Amino acid sequence: MPEEISLEGWAPAIGVEATLDEVVDRAFDYRGDVTVVMTSGRELAGYVYNRDRHVAQPYVQMFDAAGASHTFPYSEIRAIRFTGKDTAAGQSYEAWLRRKAEAGSRPEA
Amino acid sequence: MSVPLSQMWTVASYVLGQRLRGRRRYPLVLMLEPLFRCNLACAGCGKIQYPGHLLRRHLTVEQALAAVEECGAPMVSIPGGEPLMYPDIGRLVQELVARKKYVYLCTNAILLKEKLDAGLFTPSTYLSFSIHMDGLREEHDEAVCRDGVFDVAVEAIREALRRGFRVTTNTTLFDGANPLRMREFFDAMMDLGVEGMMVSPGYSYSKAPDQEHFLRRQRAHELFRTMLANPKKRWRFNQSPIFLQFLMGKHDFECTPWGNPTYNLFGWQRPCYLLQEGYAASFKELLETTRWDDYGKRSGNPKCRDCMVHCGYEPTAVNYTFGSWRGFRDSVVATVTGRL
Repeated sequence: MPEEISLEGWAPAIGVEATLDEVVDRAFDYRGDVTVVMTSGRELAGYVYNRDRHVAQPYVQMFDAAGASHTFPYSEIRAIRFTGKDTAAGQSYEAWLRRKAEAGSRPEA
Repeated sequence: MSVPLSQMWTVASYVLGQRLRGRRRYPLVLMLEPLFRCNLACAGCGKIQYPGHLLRRHLTVEQALAAVEECGAPMVSIPGGEPLMYPDIGRLVQELVARKKYVYLCTNAILLKEKLDAGLFTPSTYLSFSIHMDGLREEHDEAVCRDGVFDVAVEAIREALRRGFRVTTNTTLFDGANPLRMREFFDAMMDLGVEGMMVSPGYSYSKAPDQEHFLRRQRAHELFRTMLANPKKRWRFNQSPIFLQFLMGKHDFECTPWGNPTYNLFGWQRPCYLLQEGYAASFKELLETTRWDDYGKRSGNPKCRDCMVHCGYEPTAVNYTFGSWRGFRDSVVATVTGRL
């Protein structure tokens, strides 16, 4: 099975490459940090752990690297850049098997 | 069945109480994840792929206890991550036992002997170490992607049993599992003296490294039918015999995703332990605002199509047991005769 293409480094133009809903969903699904650019120009880096667009005021929740939780509405998002390392990428079972074969024994995970 | 009578009674009276109150949705086991950090990186696990700043974080004991109180489930399973890496695991377990919650501490057992030596735990009917064992040495070490883990776990099991702890095993099965080897594994675990075993097919986490080897429904039924055919009298399973029959294809059940709700750093996970589609701030919010009709086999949701995992279907099996005389009779017959 081919490995899924990582979104690491992706900086989509919202409304051109993808809708805001799509980009937020991708950020929520992404196993790395992102940088959110607010309409105010402020930038916030962290991990998007929740979002809900089925409420009156759709919102996003993220933890920054210091552990503080931030909640802000979709309407304040200008852009999202996938700036952090994708922790789910490059760790495939096949890659482990390859490392194992190369080492001649099972490598440490 | 190897569950102590007191635990059976607690669960039975809890379930009957919920049904008498007319509650359609109620939790059976709280899956409490105090941290995501782990000392293994198993190929089938999609639980630990997070940035370092999240892996270094964990729930406080107070947050964990508040979730336990809010949820109200009679049983608490502590997976993770590796819960023995949680710095306050001793105090958390002590508090849960004091609240008479039946605790299943799910561990790969790498740190178990060290923690037992440190006197972190006291034997109790309410505490069971649920040791991750995916088969005999070769299969287990392959599944956890590290040599030697099986032997470490076996030593830890012996030590925990020697000290008087309840010890069970939990086994996740993937495509390619050899039913005959699994029968040998059941024998080996019984020889070790564990109280009971739990088995379940794996779930295809979208973030799990190994996507090819998850069991599809029909193949899962075939595997479990072969593996559990003519079960030996000495095999003891720490789970509902009806769930085992479901795995063998003898029942057509629907998922009960709210049966084993999950709480972690992010809140109450929607809709279940396996899928991560969002979080609710409270258990009440989880129950009331999750679009439950979007999940389960009949929903047509492709993420649920092949899932037969214990966290969704064991609660269904328990509901079946207490939902009709036929279900109750089936459970009693399977429990008494050992026939599946």
